[in-house]
Formats: sequence, structure tokens, C-alpha cells
Amino acid sequence: MSDNATAAPQAPMTASAPPGQPWSGRALAAGLRIGGLLIAILIVILIFTVLSKPNTFLTFSNALGVMRSMSTIAIVALGLTLVIVVGEIDLSFGYMYGLASILIGVAWIVWGWPIWAAIPLAFVAAAVLGSVNATLVTLLKIPSFIVTLGTGQLVFGTTLLVSNTATLNPAYPPVGKVVPEGEVDWFFGLSNQDLPFDIPAQAIWMLGVAVIIGFILSRSLFGFRLKAIGGNPAAAKLARLPIVKYKFAAFIISASLASLAALLDFAFIGSVQPNAGVSLTFPVFAAVIIGGASLAGGRGTAIGTISGALLLAIIANGLALLSAGSYLSNFVSGAVTIAAVVLDRFTQSLRK
Amino acid sequence: MSAGPDDVGLRIRGLRKWYGDTRALDGLDLDARPGEILGVAGPNGAGKSTLIKILAGETSADGGDIDLDGRAWDTGRDRDRVAVVHQEPQLFPNLTVAENLMVGREGTRAMVRGLDQAERSLLSDLAILEYADRPIDIVPLAIQQRVEIGRALARDARVFLFDEPNSALTQEESIDLFRRMHLLADAGNVVILVSHRIAELAEHADRVALILDGLCTAVLEGEARTQEGIAAGLVTGQAAREPEEQIVVHLGDDAATALRLDGWTHDRGEFTAIDLHIRAGEIVAIIGVEGSGARELVRSIAGFEHGRGRIEIAGRTGRSAIASATSLVSADRQTSLFTNLTIGDNMVSRLSREITVSGGALRFKRMHEIAHALREQFQVKAASIHLPIHSLSGGNQQKVAIAAAIVKRPRVLVLEEPTRGVDIGSKREIYRLMRAYASEGQAVVIYCTEVPEVFEAADLAYVVSDGRLSDALLVMNFADVEALARAVTRLERHSGSTVAAPAGVAGAA
Repeated sequence: MSDNATAAPQAPMTASAPPGQPWSGRALAAGLRIGGLLIAILIVILIFTVLSKPNTFLTFSNALGVMRSMSTIAIVALGLTLVIVVGEIDLSFGYMYGLASILIGVAWIVWGWPIWAAIPLAFVAAAVLGSVNATLVTLLKIPSFIVTLGTGQLVFGTTLLVSNTATLNPAYPPVGKVVPEGEVDWFFGLSNQDLPFDIPAQAIWMLGVAVIIGFILSRSLFGFRLKAIGGNPAAAKLARLPIVKYKFAAFIISASLASLAALLDFAFIGSVQPNAGVSLTFPVFAAVIIGGASLAGGRGTAIGTISGALLLAIIANGLALLSAGSYLSNFVSGAVTIAAVVLDRFTQSLRK
Repeated sequence: MSAGPDDVGLRIRGLRKWYGDTRALDGLDLDARPGEILGVAGPNGAGKSTLIKILAGETSADGGDIDLDGRAWDTGRDRDRVAVVHQEPQLFPNLTVAENLMVGREGTRAMVRGLDQAERSLLSDLAILEYADRPIDIVPLAIQQRVEIGRALARDARVFLFDEPNSALTQEESIDLFRRMHLLADAGNVVILVSHRIAELAEHADRVALILDGLCTAVLEGEARTQEGIAAGLVTGQAAREPEEQIVVHLGDDAATALRLDGWTHDRGEFTAIDLHIRAGEIVAIIGVEGSGARELVRSIAGFEHGRGRIEIAGRTGRSAIASATSLVSADRQTSLFTNLTIGDNMVSRLSREITVSGGALRFKRMHEIAHALREQFQVKAASIHLPIHSLSGGNQQKVAIAAAIVKRPRVLVLEEPTRGVDIGSKREIYRLMRAYASEGQAVVIYCTEVPEVFEAADLAYVVSDGRLSDALLVMNFADVEALARAVTRLERHSGSTVAAPAGVAGAA
């Protein structure tokens, strides 16, 4: 069939198409959800402002600190959002984070690779993991929960093997190894660039990723079809949407953004250890869920996920300033996650 | 169980049910006596499945009375009195046959118990004792259905509802199932058989109730209870083709071939050695009951069932031809629409290059225009294309599903039961749209179970029976829908036979 055979109907095209009306049915629904989340964030800010000592919580420098601390979770969660929207689950991103930082560290510091070769290695590993996940999910039809639960452990084992369970720091390479100083400066600069107003470089990276994922989800054919596939896989199959290809893309992007977050944290902290990333699973999922994505698939936005990560970061930061003890932070973030889903159920029952 | 004075069986009076604006049951009256098999026949959307759902306690009626043996029966609360046997048994697939029989009646015992004597003899009566320790999901469907019957007998059910029970059974399994139906009836139970298979209704049911438009229009018994009688009763008063809708086909012999099948055989044997030639501009109906292979044949044309043999679409062969030149709309709107998308998004959900710029960014204005144009063209009754798809009635949802397929401009548009669950007004609209698309020089293939639909919508009809395709019926050669129904019934009975189709070539009305 030729190209023009799939063209849209020509004759009725001139029928009434009211100009200027926004394509906004779902945008409205999503907007309500995000609006509610922003109100929740404002309320939390208000509570901590009242409770905390003056000039500790509501300050410009603390706000920048919150932005930096949320960036890791936000970047990984933006990748996970794509996987969730297409109707799958990824539990391997935390271990991918660990493997990526260890691969960069070992290749660069122990094997003596130049940094420009060590960094791509982490993304090659991400592409491999994403492809393995997607292959098992789409071709062998194994539930993604099980697939990524398993591949996560495979990745973690690889990380421990490659790193020999050692912590690595380019400033203090192992005996007999030399890391060029120029490369160290450049690498640390990725996350420690001097920016106006002391804005953390990681926050800029986060915003960049958010803009790209936001474009994908709300403005691209890729995102449109991800939502269709996640919303009704059976209909997507009958409509011949490229389900397999898109699931590959979603899993690879998720693993790649975990690698990016690992790279930036390594550059910020200055050292890596093999068990980094293991504790990411909960906060990343919580950010996505609080942001309004549906674990059943078909629904999710970049701004929602970013807002979810922001809410969690504010809560963690505020409780830390109150010296509340870390267990309270667990209580609150767990409760907020469940509350967000309860609220979802409630608002959806209202709309019906 | 003897038929005492109170054992009057099932008595339904004035049963009503609405789904939104759609009237499913409109004051239906029906009696099912103990000791007989009551057949129920009716086209899709007539209210049969609603009646079954109400009796099974899956949904509640909006009005009317149901009495069982002289006492009011609340089907939603007292579900133990009814057993529903259909092609998807409602059993626990992870439990064994014996556990399925016992589950729910364990009493207060904390320990798992074995089968008691009564249960063993029950299983043995049903000839499934040997399967007792097998998981239910690995035993054949016929055995599962017997377990379903056993479960019902163990809890003293009174009403046995068989809903298209044998569409996936072999001949021998069907015969056994009907034998058990007769045994249940002889034991004084109320037995109701709902089926599309007119021959089986005529053979096994003592009386046959016809359900049309939410009413029981006739109960055929004795002499009237013949295949021809049932077939004619089902289409009476329907589909009087209006003059302006008279289908006129002027396809010469040189009309382009849209689809050609040679020796087309299903990979699991649902249909065999099909030769079919469909020309551009034609609407072709493939008719067949569930299990005949007709549905699989139609789906295979769009590549959603696997066939072997030769398929040629618009001059090209093989799977790539199928994928690029066909669009399928399934019978079930659960699998043809995206519930998380708006009406407009659903309409353009199959498009790609038409709605994007080269970088993959969506052209919202273009999506918008296409959706508005389709709403006009298909007369979708929607206040806005930005509303959720579930805000539409079933008929309008179906129009959106068909619109989404047509906008891809397939050479062969494949529709499965295009008007199932659709109101009469939308039906006419959908037939008009199918005709408009065919007249643009494309072919339309529809899978049908209803003769009136074939009569109103199609140019040619083929009947599939036991996986074999009949000769073509030229629809315009039939004066009325009853005549067509008789011909279809004849072809269904003589599977794969050479019963002569009415002579004539296209255009010779």
C-alpha cells in the first residue's frame, strides 16, 4: 500500500473544525490531579515553616538543597514513569544505578580507561539491561515484576563482582593506578559546576530530563502510543501499535536514566560504593505514584512525577531540620504514598 | 423430586432492565416448567444475556417479578438456587476437581477434608470421579462443565441455565452434555438452554422461547418447534429494508480483486481449505455460529488468527500485505477502544505519520481536525471530542471504533459483529458507513451471527459450518429476510454441502 493510501479522509476535512479549541480533555483531568498535588506541597511547606526554627526551612539555600536532594530520585522516577505508563513495572533501576556508578569507577580508576570511554560503558550496560528486561517481558511474556526482580539481582551480583565490593574514589586511586587530574576536575564539574545563585548543577540536569520526558509523554507520538498501549494492550494489538518496540524503548530509557542519575551522584559525591542505589526502589516508586501515574498503565505525567519527588524531598528535608529521627520520615513517606492512591480512587469515583 | 402443587417452576413477569438510555429488557414474561428443557433463542442484543445475568445474580433487574416454585426469588441474594453452565466455567482454576466441588461448603472445620460419600457418588454419576485430584485448569472443558453441574447439584440448585454451553465442545462431548441436560430435566429441575444453534434447540428443547427487543415474542411448542419455525420467528418484523436503502451493486466482472484466499487453512483446524474471492466495492458477510470457524476465518483475514495457504490482498501476498492493507474492529469494545483516551484520541489512535511532524512531535491541530471531521462524517453524538470515550453510548462508541479503523484507509475493512449491543438507530448509521466505505472502492468483510444484519448490510453472504465455506448467497436475490434466514439455516445444517445458492450474478436483481 502506498503512502497516500493511509492518508486521513480528504473530503470531509473541510467540515467544521472549530479553530483554537485546545486538545485538552485529558489535560484537564491531569491538571486537576497536579493542582491537588501542588496544594499538598504548599500545605506541607506551610506546616514545616511553622514548626521549624526561624530561618532554617523557608530559606533560599535550603530550597536549593531540596532541589539537589530530589534530583536523583526525580531523574530515575522520570524513566520509571515511561515504563509504568506502558503498563509494566521496573524493579531493576536501583541496581542499575549501582552498576552504572561502579562500572564508571572501575573502568576509569582501576582499569585506567579514559573517562570519555568509561561513561559510555555505563550506558551500554543500561541498554543491555533494558533490552534483556524487554525481551523477557515481550517475547517470553513473563510478567515484568518477576523479570525485573530477577534481573535486578543479576545486576547487583555483577556490581559486587566487578567492584570486588570496594569503595572507589578517583582522588585516592588504588596503589599503582593514576587518574589524570584534568579528567577528575572535568568529571566532578558535571555536578559541581559553579552556577549563578549557587543553583545545583544536578537540578539543571533534572529539569532538562523532565522537559524531555514531558515532551515525550504529552507531545510526541511515542508518548501518545505508550499511553494507548498501557491503557488497553488488547486494543493496541488489534490496532497494530508497535508494542514490542515501545516496551524496549521504555525499559532502555528507564535503565539509562538510572545510569545518568548514578553518574551525576558519583560526580557530586566524589566516590562510589557497590550498594549505592539499593535504597532507591521505594522513593522512586513513591514519586511516580504520588505524581498520579497509574500502576495499571495508561496514565502518568512528567510534571506529576517531578512534583511527587519534590513532595518527598520536602518532607525528608523538613523532618531532618526538626531532628525528628529517620523512622518518622519512613512513616510519613509511606503514609503519603498510600494517601495519594486513596485520593486517586476518590477523585476518579467523583468523575464517573 | 416430584412435581408437587408448588413446583410450578420459574415464573418471570414484566422483567425490565435499562443500561443508561438503552433498553435491554422491556417487560419480559417467561415461564420455565420443571421437567422440561426450555430453549431460548434471540439475536444478539435482544436481551438474552441480560436475562441470563439477572437469573445468575450478576446484575439486578430494574423492575418485574421472578418467582421460583411459587415464592419470590431474589436472584442477587439467593444464588445457590441457580447453576450457570457456559463455555467459560466459573470455577477455581487453581483447585482440583474435588476441591472445586467442596469449596464454599467446608463448614466450620479448620482442616481440609476429603470427599464424603455423597460427593463421591455425585462425581461418579457425572463420570468424573477419576478426575477428582486433577487441577481444574488441565481437565477438558467438557469435564469442567460437569464439575459446574456437580457443584450445583451438591448445593441443591433448582434452575440450570445452559448458555451456549457446547460451542467449544466436540460432537461426542455435546451429545453427552445434552444427555445430562435431559437427565436434569427428568429429575424435575428447571432447565433452560440458550443457544444460537437452531438445530439443537429444535431437537432438544421441549419449548422454544423467542426473545426480540427485550420481549418474549413467542413460545414455540409441538408442531411449531421446527428449525424453520424458529429461524422465521427470529427475523419476523425485522429488517424491512427501506426503499432508499435498497442495495444496488453494479460490479462488473472486471471489478478489482481486493482479497483472494486459496486453500486457506487455520493452524489449529478451525477452518480448512477455504477458497474465497472478494472484490473491491463489496460488502461480504461471513456467517457462522460460535465454534463454526467463521469468526476465526474473519480474524485470520486481518492476521489475528494464523492461517496457512495463500492470501492475496490488493495484489500482494503474505503477512506484510495483511498488516498494511487490513484493519480489524473486534466485536468486543473492550478490545477495540482505549478507555483512558478521549473520543478524539481514540479516533486517531491508529494513525502515525498523518498526525506527526518528522521529529515525532504530535500535530494537535491536525489530530483535532481529523477527529472533528470523523465526528461529522460518522455522526457521533458527542458534545465534545475531548470527553472520555465512556461518556458515549454503546452505538456511538462503536462508531468511534469503526472510524478509527476506516481512517487508516484499509483495502479490506474487517468488522466482527459490527452492531453487537448497538441500538437500532446506530445500526442503520453503521450500515450506511460501511456502504459508503465500500463504494469508495474498498472491500468490507463482516463476521455475522444475525441474519437481519446480513440482509440489511451485505451484498454477498457465505456460511461457515464445521470449518467449511458454503457457496455464495447473493443477498439481493432474496425477497425478504425470512427467505434468507431459511437459506442460511439450510447451509448451516448441511455443513460443507453444495446446496445451491440462488442462481444469479451480481446486478441481476
